[in-house]
Amino acid sequence: MFEKYRHIIPDFESFLKAVETPQPYWFRVNTIKIGEKELVSRLSDKGFVLERFRDLNAYKIVSMPVKHPGATLEHSFGYYYVQDISSMVPALVLDPKPGELVLDMAAAPGSKTTLMAALMKNEGSIVANDTRASRLRALGSNVERLGVTNVMITKGDARTMDFKHLYDKILLDAPCSGEGVIRKNPKHGIPGDKEHRYFSQLQKSLIKNAWKHLDTGSKLVYSTCTFNPIENEDVVQYAVSKLGMEILQVEFPVPHVRGVSFWEGRDYSDISDYVMRIYPHLLNTGGMFIAVLEKR
Amino acid sequence: MQYLKKDDYRNYFRDVFGISEDILKKYHFYETSSSVWAYTGDAAPLSEAEVVGVRALRVRNITKPTTSFLRIIGKYATKNVVFIDDEQGSSFLSGESLIGVCQSLKGYVVVRTASDVLGCGLCRNGILISQVPKKYRPDITWL
Ligand SMILES: C[S@@+](CC[C@H](N)C(=O)[O-])C[C@H]1O[C@@H](n2cnc3c(N)ncnc32)[C@H](O)[C@@H]1O
Repeated sequence: MFEKYRHIIPDFESFLKAVETPQPYWFRVNTIKIGEKELVSRLSDKGFVLERFRDLNAYKIVSMPVKHPGATLEHSFGYYYVQDISSMVPALVLDPKPGELVLDMAAAPGSKTTLMAALMKNEGSIVANDTRASRLRALGSNVERLGVTNVMITKGDARTMDFKHLYDKILLDAPCSGEGVIRKNPKHGIPGDKEHRYFSQLQKSLIKNAWKHLDTGSKLVYSTCTFNPIENEDVVQYAVSKLGMEILQVEFPVPHVRGVSFWEGRDYSDISDYVMRIYPHLLNTGGMFIAVLEKR
Repeated sequence: MQYLKKDDYRNYFRDVFGISEDILKKYHFYETSSSVWAYTGDAAPLSEAEVVGVRALRVRNITKPTTSFLRIIGKYATKNVVFIDDEQGSSFLSGESLIGVCQSLKGYVVVRTASDVLGCGLCRNGILISQVPKKYRPDITWL
């Protein structure tokens, strides 16, 4: 299914091997409730073997005494959140600060919302929105479990919704065809061209509404967990050429490559050097695309 | 939904659990028909919001603190706190009642071990009745 990406994914054979093997679990310590050292020592005492990634609050579970990484009292107390490191990057790149007003347009189940709340020390506000009731329930219970108190949850179509403010920062972690998480959910169907085009349209409508809700000079992080350039570079190029947004260089110390410059006759070389692609074989994670844009 | 700001609910947590004003002042309390929400955000709740912060109290018939909020501020409680050991803690989390731990306490209490706040309990006739919702009950396979 990934054959069509052979010429855009570096070291393609390793990529194929990575997506066919199970993915290790990662978590982050919920610093709203507990210190990193204390939690790590408690889990280690229970028999977890953990590996911290550089100086980030991101731990790979090398081995564990339970079947699922959430099967502990510490998890139930909201002391940690199981989350692939690739999925932490969009929130870390957006880097919301205490006191800021942040919009998370497609937020459920809240992996990035709850991370942003921790970065903001529960200060400022986050409006976390999604359309799907079942996913909103999961968002609600994660917010509650992690002790996140600066979030409001709304239910609406983020293409058209009026979010009532101009925001300091917006995260658009867009609905997508999900090629980067097939490793985690092998039952996920294989997306075709029609699906990529459908999502691309949806993502452009979403980014347009995001742009409307940004204050001048404010930052938007656009991310997806898929590989197809139609859902990634194409959407970013739309924001730059049609909405007049400025593209900023994404820098983050997690192994990545830059964006795709040419795809199916389209030229993205104006923005491709600014964006970031995390592939599963680089650090044995899920896949992620991340771009940072600013409203002029 | 309408969210009515009622910071007077701070008094509930001060009077019942002896939590200091210093801790409570960062929480704003918002009342809806059946709940009170604890919120530390600056932006006023949107009327569209389905959730604002963490539900702190249920207020329909009686005023009852939630386990979720006690797991946030319960560590600062100085009154109406029941300390139990880890073994009693797992019984309590599984929904069992405990005898002999309430001493002379009555009503809702913060239940905790040396290291963790487990949640809300009710002391009645000397028995500690677990108020921990089912979703927080540990599975037998958990560590
Ligand atoms: C990639 S997931 C978000 C994951 C989430 N940000 C996290 O980190 O936990 C995309 C989400 O977009 C939601 N969604 C789909 N269409 C939407 C729309 N029109 N408006 C708002 N959300 C939408 C989906 O329900 C889904 O939860």
